Amino acid sequence: MATLLQQLASGLVLGALIALIALGYTMVYGIIQLINFAHGEVFMVSIFAAAATYKWFIPESWENTWQIALPCMLVGAVLVAVVLAVLMERFAYRPLRNAPRLAPLITALGVSQMLKEIVRLNYPDAKSAINVPRAFIDEPIIITVPGGTVVLQATSVLLIAVSIVGAVILQLYVSRSRMGRAMRATAQDPDTAKLMGVNPNRTIVFTFALGGLLAAVAGVLYGIHLNTVDTEVGFLYGIFAFTAAVLGGVGSIKGAVIGGFIIGVVKTLGGQLLPGGTGYDVVWVFILLILVLVFRPQGLFGEPERVRA
Amino acid sequence: MTIPPGWPILGLGLLYIAIAVAVVLALRLLWQRSAKALADKPGMLRPIAIAGGVLAVLAALLPWVTFRFNDGPYPDLATLQFFDEPWGVTGFRLFVLLLGVVAIAAPFLPVPARRVERAIGLGLIALGLVNTIFPLISGGGFGAITAADGAFAFGGVATLVAGWVVATSAKAGPLEPLPHWNPKVPRLLAYAVLVVSYVVLLLVVAWMLDAGTDPDGNTNTYAGPIFLSLLSFLGAALGALHAFGFLGWLTALSERHRVFSIGVLVVCALALPFTDAGTDYWMTIAVNVGVYAATAIGLNIVVGLAGLLDLGYIAFLGIGAYIAANFSGAAASALHVELPFVLVAVIAAIVAGIFGAIVGSPTLRVRGDYLAIVTLAFGEIFRKAAQFNIGGMTGGANAIPNIPPINWFGRDFSAPLTIGSVRLPSGVLYYVLIMVLVALVMVIFANLKNSRIGRAWIAVREDEDAARAMGIKTGQVKILAFLIGAMLAGLAGAVFAHKTSTVAYNSFQFIESVTLLAAVILGGMGSIPGAVLGAALLLVLPEKLRDLQDWRLFFFGLALVVIMRFRPQGLMPDRHRRAELADEGADGVPIEELNVPDAPDGSTAQAVAR
Amino acid sequence: MTATTAPVLAARDVSMVFGGLTALAEVSLELHEGQILGLIGPNGAGKTTFFNCLTGLYTPTKGSVTLRGDRLPSDPARVTVAGVARTFQNIRLFPSMTALENVLVGRHARMTQGPIASLFHGPAYRRGEADARRRSLELLEFVGLRGLDDELARNLPYGDQRRLEIARALATDPAVLLLDEPTAGMNPQETEAARQLIFAIRDTGVAVVVIEHDTKFIFSLCDHVSVLVQGRLLVQGTPEVVRGDPRVIEAYLGKPPEEVEAEVRQYAEEAAHSTGTAGTADPADSAEDLDTEGGSR
Ligand SMILES: Nc1ncnc2c1ncn2[C@@H]1O[C@H](COP(=O)(O)OP(=O)(O)OP(=O)(O)O)[C@@H](O)[C@H]1O
Ligand SMILES: [Mg+2]
Repeated sequence: MATLLQQLASGLVLGALIALIALGYTMVYGIIQLINFAHGEVFMVSIFAAAATYKWFIPESWENTWQIALPCMLVGAVLVAVVLAVLMERFAYRPLRNAPRLAPLITALGVSQMLKEIVRLNYPDAKSAINVPRAFIDEPIIITVPGGTVVLQATSVLLIAVSIVGAVILQLYVSRSRMGRAMRATAQDPDTAKLMGVNPNRTIVFTFALGGLLAAVAGVLYGIHLNTVDTEVGFLYGIFAFTAAVLGGVGSIKGAVIGGFIIGVVKTLGGQLLPGGTGYDVVWVFILLILVLVFRPQGLFGEPERVRA
Repeated sequence: MTIPPGWPILGLGLLYIAIAVAVVLALRLLWQRSAKALADKPGMLRPIAIAGGVLAVLAALLPWVTFRFNDGPYPDLATLQFFDEPWGVTGFRLFVLLLGVVAIAAPFLPVPARRVERAIGLGLIALGLVNTIFPLISGGGFGAITAADGAFAFGGVATLVAGWVVATSAKAGPLEPLPHWNPKVPRLLAYAVLVVSYVVLLLVVAWMLDAGTDPDGNTNTYAGPIFLSLLSFLGAALGALHAFGFLGWLTALSERHRVFSIGVLVVCALALPFTDAGTDYWMTIAVNVGVYAATAIGLNIVVGLAGLLDLGYIAFLGIGAYIAANFSGAAASALHVELPFVLVAVIAAIVAGIFGAIVGSPTLRVRGDYLAIVTLAFGEIFRKAAQFNIGGMTGGANAIPNIPPINWFGRDFSAPLTIGSVRLPSGVLYYVLIMVLVALVMVIFANLKNSRIGRAWIAVREDEDAARAMGIKTGQVKILAFLIGAMLAGLAGAVFAHKTSTVAYNSFQFIESVTLLAAVILGGMGSIPGAVLGAALLLVLPEKLRDLQDWRLFFFGLALVVIMRFRPQGLMPDRHRRAELADEGADGVPIEELNVPDAPDGSTAQAVAR
Repeated sequence: MTATTAPVLAARDVSMVFGGLTALAEVSLELHEGQILGLIGPNGAGKTTFFNCLTGLYTPTKGSVTLRGDRLPSDPARVTVAGVARTFQNIRLFPSMTALENVLVGRHARMTQGPIASLFHGPAYRRGEADARRRSLELLEFVGLRGLDDELARNLPYGDQRRLEIARALATDPAVLLLDEPTAGMNPQETEAARQLIFAIRDTGVAVVVIEHDTKFIFSLCDHVSVLVQGRLLVQGTPEVVRGDPRVIEAYLGKPPEEVEAEVRQYAEEAAHSTGTAGTADPADSAEDLDTEGGSR
């Protein structure tokens, strides 16, 4: 029982991370129907940015005070991620808006390759994994349950809380604010939105920036939780996050979050309980994805596609 | 409190970036201004083109580096080589010289001069960039072009400026329409043209592969820039030929005489081992190109014709390879049986085809990009299964090593071959085999594309609902695309297993699927020569850029981005897409918006929207 | 009269509900051999939805559709094979295929070559392919697109695209052809040509259903007109009957002003009492319209 709960907890933590990244995928896909493969790399870069901020940009005297170090890391990561996301949109994707459908996808794959290589080759020692500081409360929370104890890192709690609160804020923002309305309008019909006075370019840039911001938050939390990072995490988490977005129904914020948690839990528990061990944990995730899509092609919370005639 | 070390570096970095951005913006502004000023002055073409051309000729004669590099492309280059040795202008300087001369001549010839100048200008810029950046990187920084004593090597900079000027001259008026040459010429003439063109193509390919190889067969230290210079020059030359209408004509001729063309092409391909490129090394790479080309053509059925995005395609190659490995009699295989290769290839194709149908079956319900994710999922599942040695069939992390070479009539395919007195490199038999396979796959693709099935695929790609309304059973048709495509990949995989002699799970990573997809899209979706060209480029380029070592993957990504930016339809687009994009600039505007007569009542506007 | 024979196509109590919206409510319709049936109604009345139900693109919530007494499946491909072809309101050609290839796709269901034959291009295959080409070229000529076979569909002018869509539908050898607003966006000459084309199609033995907003066009073309309003069949009958029915006029007044004006011009005489806008219509004009319509009967 206790071990199961412990597994469940780590599944939820993983899910929270995936959910935060998935939000960026889902918003961008919702608005311009692009699988932005480079989004996972934005997440990866932001982890490195956080580590760099800690190492080179804050005075030593602050390094041991997480109340200062963590916000600084967050600012550094968010700045880098948002600038990166915006540049990407402006210079890689926007020129291709009227190109054949697959062109931007290939560009996204190319951008993602470039980002990974730039970091790998230029960040000191990034050819193997680097360390990221803990920068948060150190004492774990120990909960006693029937049959043992469950140990929760403080960062785990933080992660889950941030992802849920973040998604709620985002949902409110998208449904209530002016910019949110513009985003939904552009997603539904860019031409009509334009006629109604929405500036589609600005809306799209904003969407990318918002996605970058969430990826950076995820990045910092990833860093302080796992304390290590390499350049491969972008691809891996990117795939999981996009899978989560698709599972939940692309375009749906609620879907992305729930999809993220489902994937986190299935991967962790599947790796423990199902045959094949942790080696096959990814396989269970993908099998679940395929099953969901076959029986519910629009994902769990997506709108069914309308036949137009 | 001390300032942390990152801040000064960041400040300096931002300063550099600001300067770079300012320079780029200034150049762009200048470019836009001059383009605007020239737009209605076709008379300016000649003076500007001549100025640019003369500058290019001069640049070819100027020094490019301030000191002598080791043997390679930069000997004696601190001098005005031309005056000591009039015929000694070689290598990239010869290219710059030639392009300069053509730039001067073009406005006086009955050709679409602005198109020609544009191609030449871009070629010059590429030549200038390659041969300026390279000495900077591997020649010790700015010292390579500005020596400490103040000497400055103007060659590269002058070429860049010359290229820019020549390209600007193309802005004097709109681009001319492409000349159309009638492809209905007497059969014999057409055959002659095709044979000559393909032989030239063969020689060019051999030249390119051989570029940067010393007479003793070792790769020159400067192979990278030599190759890239050649590529830039050939690009400019092809652009000029295209402007001339020749390439379009050649394509039309090959389409009219399809069987003959494929025959000549096969013969030319088989002649490659007899050229300078006929080394063990290039044979190995050529076989890999063939394997990828055959697979890419299979993928082209799925993506290019049926419009179904597949991000896990390498799995089918892998399935073919593992099947072949298991029936090869290799010690590590699960079955320990050895079947004749032909039989094995058929089994590999069939099994891969079955998996193709399985992977394709969600298309019955899942559409578009969702399908892409499903295929990606299948690809990853395959890789994991291979990694963990599913059913003992894959060898897991140990792979299946020591797969014996193909052996037909007692002839070992990996041994060298001697015909008369000519000794051909080892691996040449694999090369022949894979070329025959690629030709076969090409014929399969071409025949299917121009058939009832092929039209159904394209219809599904264009508009699935309309296709169904035409009586096409779209589900069956899509699964068929996956099935046939996967079979072709499985065939290629069988050859791959024997040639590489080791089948390991990490040959089938996601990046390989991306490479395949990139080959299809770079070449041009739905186009056969495109897929082969794409596969060849993506496998040969990294070999040629070995001195970039670490940066190879970065440049791979950059190349994808740049090509998609400037040629989203691919390098050799399919006939339809070519026509679609014929009038440059107008693409992207739906035709309805252009041709709607005044709407007589509200209903039309509604009908037109979307 | 045709009405005495068994209908080719019959819809019985077809209903279609989207969520809470009833787009069609128990619509029943019969189409007879050699008939041209007009379907009119204001925007959003459910005309296109009705076509979608007939062709299997939508599965009706209730009701059935039969072709010569056989129930039609709810799968567009099989409906087409059975002999019902259609065009789309917002042209749905295959834009980067040539005109000829578009029509050849229409032949798909009537050709038999499978993947193996397509691979080897044997003699039987070639004969089938040549037949299909010949038939497709004939159809292109029939709809008036002779010589445009090598043109990409997306490069054709709007009117030609509509005609190409008709040729493509005819290539499936249909017994019934459904045309959704075939003249939308056409100028008067093109509209007249389209009218003649539809007569010609009828004369080849294909029964036709036409959706149109241009009532003048419908009344001069059809043997029988049905009026659909808010998913219900309001009136059916000969053009004369429908034109004179006050309910039709009333239904049409529920529409936006621009269209009201257009319709009112048609019915200026009968509608004199209903609104002030009728006064703007030129009575001479309307009378002339009605004359020509009567003449063509
Ligand atoms: N797939 C669908 N899902 C939900 N509602 C639909 C769907 N298809 C049609 N409708 C609704 O059904 C109603 C009828 O639409 P339909 O397109 O059939 O009208 P129409 O008579 O063809 O109008 P028009 O003259 O404008 O073409 C409309 O309110 C439309 O919004
Ligand atoms: Mg309609």
